[in-house]
Amino acid sequence: MIQTIAFYLFAIMVVLSAGLVITARNPVHSVLWLILAFFNAAGLMLLVGAEFIAMLLVIVYVGAVAVLFLFVVMMLDIDFSELRGGFVRYLPFGVAVALVLLCEIVIAGGAWEAGPVELAGRTALAPDPAAIPNIQALGTLLYTRYLFVFEGAGLVLLVAMIGAIVLTHRARGGVRQQNVRRQNIRRPQDATRNTNPPVGQGVEL
Amino acid sequence: MASVAAQYLPILLFLGVALLLSTAFVVLPIAVARLTGAHKPSTDKLSEYECGFPAFEDSRMQFDVRFYLVAILFIIFDLEAAFLYPWAVSLREIGWTGWLAMMGFLAELLLGFAYAWKKGALEWE
Repeated sequence: MIQTIAFYLFAIMVVLSAGLVITARNPVHSVLWLILAFFNAAGLMLLVGAEFIAMLLVIVYVGAVAVLFLFVVMMLDIDFSELRGGFVRYLPFGVAVALVLLCEIVIAGGAWEAGPVELAGRTALAPDPAAIPNIQALGTLLYTRYLFVFEGAGLVLLVAMIGAIVLTHRARGGVRQQNVRRQNIRRPQDATRNTNPPVGQGVEL
Repeated sequence: MASVAAQYLPILLFLGVALLLSTAFVVLPIAVARLTGAHKPSTDKLSEYECGFPAFEDSRMQFDVRFYLVAILFIIFDLEAAFLYPWAVSLREIGWTGWLAMMGFLAELLLGFAYAWKKGALEWE
């Protein structure tokens, strides 16, 4: 009963906030609505028993991706009213993309329902979330059966890191880097000097 | 399946309490002020006053691209850490294969980390 209520609450909130993401005038508001959508999607994930995915949504999407989106929105120097002017011009293309995505969703759902596409014995792979925690079930599969996909994900992350550095990093003058080796080999004798000046002569530094 | 979601029921209740309290904190002062005070709004009263500069202007300003680099590096290492959780939980079942798989993954990202360090992408000023 409570689950049903919670499901409809989260589902309605996801759809509403997703709608507001694309209709909000201010792009910063769009990002904030997106964060709300992520939180509600995490709630939906919890309801189907995918705890780890839900936490990942909160940690990675809300904590990192949404912040990145905010930075990107703040970085772009775009006149958004001017950008919105091309709405009619881009409408056919946008509708085409939306239709393709809709068809893909329908086909994927149909294939799942029809059943002949045996996705690697999916029923055997998905244990009951009540018996085995979601995170453990995921771990046993991800690092053995889907090892290559996992290592590929690592490579994708590596490429993303290198790409971001190559594209956005530029060497800045006057950067004072910490040189740990130089700090370590520096002795007190090199840094300080004991002098014994006579009275009234002062110290020459 | 029901038990997993049921464990999170206290959080849902807590969410409801938080929502209730925050709504009360917003609505109550307005309602009390409206009921106890004289309510005669006028254009001059309602317009905001700010000395010296226009009260409303675009608050957006351009950020340095360095923030983007830091954010994307954070995402990557965040994901790396996220991958460690299921690995740590299921290490007993997956054995040496899983251990080596994670070591390979870490080595890949260590390569990226070394590159970022060498390039000075982690330096700010």
